[in-house]
Amino acid sequence: MNPAAEHNHLFSPLEGENADHSSHISFMGAPFVPVDSDDLSANGAPYVFIGAPFDEGNVGKPGCEDGAREFRVASLEMPSYWFEFNVDLKGVVVDMGDVSMPRVNPEVARERIYSAVRKVLAVGKIPIICGGDRSISIPAAKALSDHLGDDKKMGYMHLGAHLDMADRWAGETHLSTNAMARITELGNLDMANCAHIGARNAFNSKDQVELAKKRHMRFYPMMEVLDRGIDDVMDEAVSRVWGGTDAQYLSMNLNILDSSAAPGVTFTESGGLSSRELIRVAKKISDRGHISVIDVTELCPMTDVAGSTSRTAVTIVQRIMAGIQKIHGKTLDESLRRPGWKYDS
Amino acid sequence: MTSSSKNTWTLAPHQHQGPHKEVREDAHIHSPEKHNSNFKAEGILTFMGAPYCPPDRHRIREMGAKICFLGAPWDQGTIVRTGTSSGPHGIREASSQYFSYLFEFDVDLLTFFNVVDCGDIPIVPGNNELSQQYMCDYVTECLEGGAKVILVGGDHSVPIPGARGLSQYMSRNKPDASMGYLHVDCHLDAAVDWAGIEITNASGPTETLKMPNVSSKNMAHMGSRNGLNPKDWMDFWVDNDMPIVPMSEVIERGIETCGRKILDRAWNGTEAVYLSWDTDSMDCSIMPGTSCPESYGLNARESIAFARLVGEYGVDVFELAELAPIFDVSDISAKLACNLIYQYLGSRAATLRSRNEEP
Amino acid sequence: MNPAKAYAHLFSPLGGEGADNYRSPSHISFLRQPFVSLEGDDLANSDAPYVFIGVPFNEGSVGRSGSEEAPLAFRVGSLDYFSFWFEFMVDLHKTVVDAGDLPLPRADPKAARERIYNAVRKVLAAGKIPIICGGDRSISISATKALSDHLGDDKKMGYMHLGAHLEMADNWAGETHLSTNAMARITELGNLDMANCAHIGARNSSNLKDHVDLAKHRGLRFYPMHEVLDRGVDHVIDEAVARVWGGTDAQYLSLNLNILDSSAAPGVTATETGGLESRELMQIAKKISDCGHISVIDVTELCPMTDVSESTCRTAVAVVLRIMAGIQKVHGKTLNESLRRPGWKF
Repeated sequence: MNPAAEHNHLFSPLEGENADHSSHISFMGAPFVPVDSDDLSANGAPYVFIGAPFDEGNVGKPGCEDGAREFRVASLEMPSYWFEFNVDLKGVVVDMGDVSMPRVNPEVARERIYSAVRKVLAVGKIPIICGGDRSISIPAAKALSDHLGDDKKMGYMHLGAHLDMADRWAGETHLSTNAMARITELGNLDMANCAHIGARNAFNSKDQVELAKKRHMRFYPMMEVLDRGIDDVMDEAVSRVWGGTDAQYLSMNLNILDSSAAPGVTFTESGGLSSRELIRVAKKISDRGHISVIDVTELCPMTDVAGSTSRTAVTIVQRIMAGIQKIHGKTLDESLRRPGWKYDS
Repeated sequence: MTSSSKNTWTLAPHQHQGPHKEVREDAHIHSPEKHNSNFKAEGILTFMGAPYCPPDRHRIREMGAKICFLGAPWDQGTIVRTGTSSGPHGIREASSQYFSYLFEFDVDLLTFFNVVDCGDIPIVPGNNELSQQYMCDYVTECLEGGAKVILVGGDHSVPIPGARGLSQYMSRNKPDASMGYLHVDCHLDAAVDWAGIEITNASGPTETLKMPNVSSKNMAHMGSRNGLNPKDWMDFWVDNDMPIVPMSEVIERGIETCGRKILDRAWNGTEAVYLSWDTDSMDCSIMPGTSCPESYGLNARESIAFARLVGEYGVDVFELAELAPIFDVSDISAKLACNLIYQYLGSRAATLRSRNEEP
Repeated sequence: MNPAKAYAHLFSPLGGEGADNYRSPSHISFLRQPFVSLEGDDLANSDAPYVFIGVPFNEGSVGRSGSEEAPLAFRVGSLDYFSFWFEFMVDLHKTVVDAGDLPLPRADPKAARERIYNAVRKVLAAGKIPIICGGDRSISISATKALSDHLGDDKKMGYMHLGAHLEMADNWAGETHLSTNAMARITELGNLDMANCAHIGARNSSNLKDHVDLAKHRGLRFYPMHEVLDRGVDHVIDEAVARVWGGTDAQYLSLNLNILDSSAAPGVTATETGGLESRELMQIAKKISDCGHISVIDVTELCPMTDVSESTCRTAVAVVLRIMAGIQKVHGKTLNESLRRPGWKF
């Protein structure tokens, strides 16, 4: 009847407290755990939040450097209890802080991202990486690929408006526009286990479409999503990525959402998913019961309105986490009540 | 349709020139090889990076231009908020974030239509009559140059000179033909006069119906809703037997059915159609950057579907009005407006290609 | 053919001495209607069925502030609209008066709540329908109690809330009358049967476990967003409306603008993803107005500071006006269709 104080966070604050305002800005108010410490593997949390405030992979749309910070700030306003799942997310994540980014040295920046993701994977945890721009997926996906090794199979799903299949962009190879081109070269990523959803509008140059076709990278452009419906497309895409693979990487460029639903991205695109559709996507993913890496990129606080894009981004990630918890039966004891509860059941 | 010895159209002079020029002929639709090209370095900003062409019928014809982009930086004809005078700039800016290649239709819009940017129409502040006359003259030059027009406002008084320009062009060149007019808008915009003035942005349809080659049987409205629709605006459409397709009908019957209904009506027995599309027909969630944002509007998918439908039928003047970047957030309105023009052109190209027709 | 000057407001302004620029009236009131005082006889002597009240109260909020400026922004948002609504063939002119903003004390929420309560009671006593623009969600507590007390024990009240948060905290850090306590307090009203109560739109993680526990314990039927999306807006609202209007003597509609998706309502204190689109909210407005009557409407959590292009304010105004227009239509109070503007030549 009277639960231990450890459950207080599930309920409205008790007398004398205010809502759980964290004294530090971390993802969900979680404890900071440096990536090199022993605490990381010792900690029971399955997820590790990593900030990757890297903006130098953009080809002309800056502003996502503060994405990770705003992602954390938005998460502080949200309690960990999810009534729609009867799940509590407290304690499921630790925050390892931001990867320390050098300036004007993208190669070193990429190495550090790679290294951080590998370390988290090495201790058996699931990185949730908030960028930063789309190019951070390149070292992060490579980290998962190398962690798995040649004899394992990787699945990769990208949600976003742009194919990012430029083999070279003005001679460069590791910009945001090269991301998918690099990722589809990973040895243990079979194209049968790769899916890109949401491509639309005229930033997808001809060579990118051609390379996608040449490499058999199955992309589901928005036109196809509209024809078939998001459910149908996602069922197929999820089967591709989760079917027979040992690990799955979900990469979410927030411009998968329609520009109205996500104004706070570096490169808004009209004609995208509505928030309710992305919520359905999150469920199809979490219904699989496992994910190996999640990244969220291109969040641009300076063009956001009312913090709504940050909030949406956090909500989607939390829904994936909560959905997975639920699949594994990690739901709350329904009979838990707030201290001082005066109503009989 | 690429540049040939027959016409002088080439890509804008500032692109692919200078010490590190891209050498590939269709570089503009591929990921750049040497530098960012004109992405985020738009230099001299033109719509779609198209070459500038003076709004002169001979020059336009010389260039073989089939689409002329014209800006009408005007907001002094409005009865609501100002801010639309930077509409043309907003769309040009938005277009600089894109290639001219639309993968959904596998077409390079620039070279298919030999798109040119004829600049902005010069306006006379405080003088609606003269400004409108200039608008009419510029539209006329483009039409007489053999091109169709994409006219970006500016407030919604722009169709008054715009439709007049098309009507007069038709009278000169096809005196027995008639013209259709479509008004897609949150507002019925049919003020015979507004406190005595006949040429505000509340009077596009009323002025157009006065044209000798425009009949009420080829006019229609779509998208109306909410309370900025005084009774006389409704009475005008009703008493002249012209359909109002309010948003409730669009939602009930679908954009495809309603769009075809009005396009069929406009094209019934006519040889030209003027589309006047107010950005406030779209829901304020997708188009806050408009002078009069309203709820209960077209969503992004419906807007895109309609743009494609218009491409299937074709129009002579595709006018997009009331874009007000000053009220926009994160460029979403300007980019949507730009995308609608692209989708219209892409759909048009696909339709023409399927019929083996030239633009 | 030539209508009296009394109908001039239905049409585009005629010019001359008439209002040329309808967007800049001499005073900023809701729908440009006259101001009336809550004291004295003006209210009872007025024919208008609705009374608009601004409640710039922000001290019940546990999250972000900003709803204090809402009543002004709401009024400004109404200025662009005519009183004529063509989709309904209805004229709202003189159907509402504006009682101004309540003068509210600072740092004395209890006194503020009493003033809100008293104001709503006065309007109800005069036989009129309050349209209350907040302010934060907590103002509903006082306003709902006013309706409840006005009705008395032998009458039945119906209550419908549209919003993303359950607000069923019995107490929040010891407090009992904050926004988060709103539904908890309202569901305690003696003449509000839970069979006549409905909450629509709950989603996301600001709904703590005790809110859900209390809702279930009290039998509060809430329709979370996922249910609305699964079953369809129409089905859910038909059911909810039947609950709230079925067999009740009065109905209170409480609209927290965060029922809308963040894309459709950026100008709210706490945006929530996964919400309604504006057309769905207008659909709901129609189902409500189809009932033919409403006793109180409140609109809360509008935050002009985070609004984009004044769009959220206007959406909020449009919902309220569409409810009013819909009710007029149901009662056959429609215009003579043949009325034309002076000088009409078609």
